[in-house]
Order: sequence, then structure tokens, then C-alpha cells
Amino acid sequence: MLNLILKDILIQKNILIIYIATIILYLMVNVSSVFIVFIYSIVFVLSAFSNDEKDNANILLNSLPYTRKEIVSSKYIGTLIFTGFFMFYTYLFDFLLNGKEVAVLWKEILLIMGLVMIVISFILPISYKFKTKYLTIFMMVLFAIYLVVVKSFFPNFNNLVKTVVQNFMTVQELQLYLMISLLIVLLYIGSWMLSIRIYERKAF
Amino acid sequence: MENVIELQHIQKSFNSFQIRDLSINVKKGFVTGFIGGNGAGKSTTIKMIMNLLQQDSGTISIFGKSYKKHEKEIKERIGFVYDENIFYENITLKDMKRIIKPAYKRWDDKKFQHYVEQFELPLNKNMKTFSKGMKMKASLAIALAHHAELIIMDEPTSGLDPIFRRELLNILHELMQDEDKTIFFSTHITTDLDRIADYITFIHNGEHIFTKEFYKIEEEYAIVKGTLDLLDRETEQEFVALRKTNRGFEALTANKHRVATVFGDTVVVEKPTLEDIMYYTKKGW
Repeated sequence: MLNLILKDILIQKNILIIYIATIILYLMVNVSSVFIVFIYSIVFVLSAFSNDEKDNANILLNSLPYTRKEIVSSKYIGTLIFTGFFMFYTYLFDFLLNGKEVAVLWKEILLIMGLVMIVISFILPISYKFKTKYLTIFMMVLFAIYLVVVKSFFPNFNNLVKTVVQNFMTVQELQLYLMISLLIVLLYIGSWMLSIRIYERKAF
Repeated sequence: MENVIELQHIQKSFNSFQIRDLSINVKKGFVTGFIGGNGAGKSTTIKMIMNLLQQDSGTISIFGKSYKKHEKEIKERIGFVYDENIFYENITLKDMKRIIKPAYKRWDDKKFQHYVEQFELPLNKNMKTFSKGMKMKASLAIALAHHAELIIMDEPTSGLDPIFRRELLNILHELMQDEDKTIFFSTHITTDLDRIADYITFIHNGEHIFTKEFYKIEEEYAIVKGTLDLLDRETEQEFVALRKTNRGFEALTANKHRVATVFGDTVVVEKPTLEDIMYYTKKGW
């Protein structure tokens, strides 16, 4: 299983330097580190996924002594590990470049992990069911809908998001965090099981 | 004799094609050539043997085990070579090895190195620069490096030049000195089989026509040529397939000796090639 996770890094090693360089660039212009880690984690997982798909690697992986359960699980466990890496890296550089204090870190970690897990929970089963090229179309449509809805109904949507995030960061009740975390974990596990089911029925 | 691969009553339907009640056994310690025309179901069968596709019904057992419970154990012992590219294009063969090696318990680096040198494969060039033949060699090097007991190949010789095709057959021949190894490969270049195959499994339209020892095919089958006046309703029954022209007939029989007693010296009996057998079975007439 660990091999499969390492594989996702190895096949992207040529563009790893681009990931690292652009993160530094973003930090230098003061993009929020929550946003950076969130985007990079998702992009990294999806890029690994589309590599498997593009190069017929699913045939290879399924001919090697791996079970389909392991192949799917490696993506779900990998997501958490990669997010962890990006988090560590981004916070490290944020500290070195901008001298940011890392006091409320655990809430931010929770926020990033939560966001990544929610998005991946939806993306992976769709990607296993359909080709990722449909996912791109799906995302484009979703983005268009988002723009239209935001423009016409919530002109200050971005502020709204900021308020919600700020509220989330300042709420003191531990119970609330636990409840939300639990819900997200359940969603993630559900998506994981669903992906295994989809992948086990797939023909290559 | 022990069977390494056993397919029993396999059914698999696609929109425009189906495999019907397919039962095949592949014997341990031998080379079995898997023949059939384009679209006969060879690749589908191989994919089911590799568990890349699941059958609708019927059972598949490899090394006497089923994929349901022993997937990893089975695949640990199989080496595979496919007709299509299965490598990540943007990394080198060295990295490809890094990915594949930890999947196998019995990976042998020395052996891999040995075949990489023998096949003259570049370790530090991206896989996308590899020709079809080189990719096939890379697959083979990987298959041989993990001490696979069963080697499954889908059209390994298609698109290869005659020199490497012969080299490949020599390698396989060498491999078969080890009595525990089994090779199952599909091809439509039937002359490849003359050199190496012990058994021939022939499928047509998703149905199993026969599995026979190679030398027995020559003993049983024959091409019969004669004049049209020899044919009548009864004698036509002797043939698998029959082709009439205005100069005479040409037919395939699955019972050479019987033809000899029915027609005696009035017909010409010739040794058939595998191609003849495939051709006549397909046409049926």
C-alpha cells in the first residue's frame, strides 16, 4: 500500500519542483496558506489520478499483486498524507518568509483537512465512475453555476465565506469541532467504501 | 497432469460480442499457444485470466486458487506481457522498476539487470521514447525478474521484427528448461508456435474449438483435395469445412485416417498449417 502512495509521488517527481516553487511564489504575495494547501493537495491527488488513467496504468496496477481495495485505499490514505506534506511545507515557508506565528495552528489544520476531505469525498467516486475528462467538464459547469449564482444572488459571497471561516476559527466550543470532524470523517469513509465498490466492478 | 489455469463454463457478454460456455485448461510445465482470429475473444479471455475483467458466470482458478480469496498470492506468481502500453510515459525505466519492484516479494535485481543488458534497454530514458518492441522487452524483463511461474502474454510478437521475434522464442525456450514454468500466449502469427508450443488452444467467436497437443493436430487434421464427383451428401459429412470451385474441392478434415479409408487414393491429402485450420474453421462453408 505504501508503495502505491510512493508511486504517486514518483510519477510526479518531474513537476514537484514546480509545486514547490509556485507555493513559495504564492506565499511571497501573501496568499492565505489555508487556500494554498487546500488547492495544492487537491491538484496533486487529481494529477496522480489522471496519470494512472491516461497511461493505462490501471491495467498495470491490477496485474501486479495488489487488490483493487488496496489501489483505491492508497488514494484515500495518500490524500491525507499529501495534505500533511503540503501543510508542513507551506507553514514552514510561511514562517521563514513571513515570520508568521503558528499559534492557532490546530484549527487551521482541522479546517484544511476538513475541506480537502470533503472535496475529495465527492471527486474520487465520480472519477472512478467516469473518466476524469468528464470531471473537468463537471467542474467547469459547476464553476459557471457558481459564478452566475454568486453574481446575481450573493454579490459579497467572498466576504460571506470569510465571515463563516472567521466564525469557525473563533468558536470556542470544542463539541462543535468534534461534531463537524466526525461528520466529515464519516463522509470520507463512506466515499472510500463507495469508490471501492465502483472500482471492484470496473473492467480494464 | 496439473492444470495451472482452469476456466470452467465461462460466460461473458458485451454489447456486440459474447463468450459462451468457455472451458479451457492450461497444463503446468508446457507452452500453450492461444490462437483465434481478430475478435475471437483472445484478449477478453486473457483479461479474465488476469482478473482485469470479471466473467458473468463460470469459475476461474489459477494455480488451483480463486481470485476471490487469493488475488495477491496468484498475481505474485504471474508475469504478464500485454499488447498495449501499460507504462507511465513520463518516467524512466529505472523509475518504473522502482514502482514495480516493491510489489513483488521475490524480485531479483540481478536478474532484471541481466535482461536489461541482454535486451539493450536504456534505463535512463523516458518510457515514451521506447518503441513497441522495447516496451515489450521491458515487460518481459519485469516478468522474468520476479521469478514468475506462469507467464501470460497477449500478442507478444505482433509488431516485432523477425529478429527479435526469434530471440524472444529462444528466451522462452530457455525458460522452459525449468519444468515448473508455464507459458500461455495468444498470437495470430502462427508460425511462432511451430517452434515452441506444446499445446494449441483454438477459440473462434467466443467458443472453444479445441485444445490439443501440437503434434496431434498434424496427426488428426488434414487438407483434402479432389474432384467434385467424389462428393455427395454422405462424403461431405467427413469434413469440418469444404470449399468447392469449378476445378474441384478443398476441405479440412479432423479425422485423417477416416478420410483415407473413405476416399483411398482418389484424393490428395496434405498436412495442414494452423493457419489452414483457422481459415477453414472461420469460413465453415
